[in-house]
Amino acid sequence: MNNQKPPYSELETKMKEAEELIHVLRTQQVDAIVGERHIMLVRLKQAEENLKSSRNQLRTLASYLLSARENERAVIARELHDEFGQALTSLHLGLSWISRKLTPGQRPLQEKIRSLSAITTSLIRSVKNIASELRPGVLDELGLVKTLKSEAREFEGHTGIQCRFKTNTAKARFDRSAAVAIFRIVQAALTNVARHAHASRTRIALMKRKNGLILTVTDNGKGISRRLIHEHDSLGITGMRERALALGGTFTLGGSRRKGTILTVQIPLSRVLMGTAS
Amino acid sequence: MKARKRERPRYAKPRRDSYVFRLFVAGNESNSSQARQKLARLCEEHLKGRYKIDVVDVLKHAASAHKNNVLVTPTLILIKPLPKVTVLGNLNDDRQVLAALRLTGDER
Repeated sequence: MNNQKPPYSELETKMKEAEELIHVLRTQQVDAIVGERHIMLVRLKQAEENLKSSRNQLRTLASYLLSARENERAVIARELHDEFGQALTSLHLGLSWISRKLTPGQRPLQEKIRSLSAITTSLIRSVKNIASELRPGVLDELGLVKTLKSEAREFEGHTGIQCRFKTNTAKARFDRSAAVAIFRIVQAALTNVARHAHASRTRIALMKRKNGLILTVTDNGKGISRRLIHEHDSLGITGMRERALALGGTFTLGGSRRKGTILTVQIPLSRVLMGTAS
Repeated sequence: MKARKRERPRYAKPRRDSYVFRLFVAGNESNSSQARQKLARLCEEHLKGRYKIDVVDVLKHAASAHKNNVLVTPTLILIKPLPKVTVLGNLNDDRQVLAALRLTGDER
């Protein structure tokens, strides 16, 4: 009688063995799985290291591509502004000159020139907008903070969604590539707000803290699903994440129907600031 | 009668308090090598002179692995003294391994 084990003892042992098996698999202490017909070698550590290294390579490539794209954009923006802008301005001036030379009797010709002149003005405006979209001149001229202020103002003007910007970095000097990255992240975030959030207000905050520079873009819209955050074809989100990671930072995106969407980017100060003016 | 006793080889009979281990490994894979070294060290430290380690390479002796119900490597089985104990993994946690093999406390 004493040798009889309670009925649950065997089950308890099996449970313990299963737990141990799960533990060693999880902690990668296993190097082969013995099957009935085959023995499968598992080189998880090696596979993980390979994955890590290939992920790092991809990240470096992405960072290089982003910087190459920015440079290319800057060149195209400059060409557009200098070449097309100049040519269109000359065209506009020429049309005005012809218009002045026409006699009152040449009314149809005058109207034609007025119409061409209007098209030219519209083209000049478009070129200016495209160039500014490609490479916001204010970013180079006025710096990141003023550019973000202007971006918030323009966003509110275009979409009607109230947009506020606050910062404690007004006197900071930003690294050029970091400034471009932050600006592009804000641009992409605002585009998402306009396209998907159904929000009535949005807030941008760029704050210098002990643990780094924190950028947050929040809105009071319908939030974002987890599936969408991790979907590989969410190019806008992937782009923002890659830009943040390229600066050695972190990128988090979350939200709910009640709270809207919250985007947070944290970047080490050493990678962002060139020095703070007193 | 006396002559018969002398003929019996001494090493064939394990000492009463000796330990017999069977360690299942997969060639020289990292966890297997680690487990092999770890077990040798633990035995030297805690069971000097009274242990036997039987290493089975499952890549060469798969049948033995099946016979002993080994699912993964490294797997260590304490054959003697009974009851049998099975420890999975690379044996990196000394405290847990010694406890499982009943080598802590009075057993040491």
